[in-house]
Amino acid sequence: MNLELFVMFSLLLFSVGLYGVLTRRNLIAVLIGVELMLNAASINFMAFGAHHASDPTMGPIFVLFIIGLAAAEVAIALSIVLSVYRVRKAIRVEQLTELKG
Amino acid sequence: MSTFVLFAMGTALLGAMLAVSLSNILYAIFGLGLALLGVAGLFLSLGSPFVAAMQVLIYVGGITVAMVFAVMLSFAMGAKTATGVGLWTRLGALIPVGVLAAAVGLGIQNEGLDAVVLDVTEAIPIADMGMALLQQFNLVFETLSVVLLLAIVGAVTIARKPPEEDA
Repeated sequence: MNLELFVMFSLLLFSVGLYGVLTRRNLIAVLIGVELMLNAASINFMAFGAHHASDPTMGPIFVLFIIGLAAAEVAIALSIVLSVYRVRKAIRVEQLTELKG
Repeated sequence: MSTFVLFAMGTALLGAMLAVSLSNILYAIFGLGLALLGVAGLFLSLGSPFVAAMQVLIYVGGITVAMVFAVMLSFAMGAKTATGVGLWTRLGALIPVGVLAAAVGLGIQNEGLDAVVLDVTEAIPIADMGMALLQQFNLVFETLSVVLLLAIVGAVTIARKPPEEDA
């Protein structure tokens, strides 16, 4: 169980999430990719925190903050999805072009 | 312990692959739940059962369920929820992501992190985390509470049906 294993796995999970964000055309599916990327970041914080933090509680507390912020982000994003669906009857990203210049 | 770590990583990776590739959005959300459970297992093996429990409670129990509700409210049930992604879209995403992963991976390998052995012998005491939250990180903690409150109010405001405007 060495540090590189965790960092490499985190990179892999981040890449999968980024691929999802880039390929998906559904707003909720894009949100899933973002969640995967956030989790990859959390793994890094936990691994380096277990490695040599001066204060061992620092890594877990940062991950708790990430989880809290992710919950807030998902709540807002899902309400936007519902609101968009009510107006447009569709939640595909390329159909939302009102703000195009 | 190492077997458990590999198992958790495999679970998380499988779930993530399912989450980004399945065309039915409901199954993709279940894949995300699997991935989040695997990550919770990793947190457990890194010596923080409390964060692992929070991950299961908030992510798997809260965020995933909220997504399922959003799907149920925003799709006509039974209708096809997603169309397939074209080959060129896949390639166009795969190439930059692959280049990025390879570059960062090579950078990580040069850091010599494989010499660092993590020996997690005991869990981090929850009492210590509570004290740190209320002393050292108190400002961040309170700010996060305000952010969550604003998110709740904002979500309700945005998602609410616009009031009927009768003259």
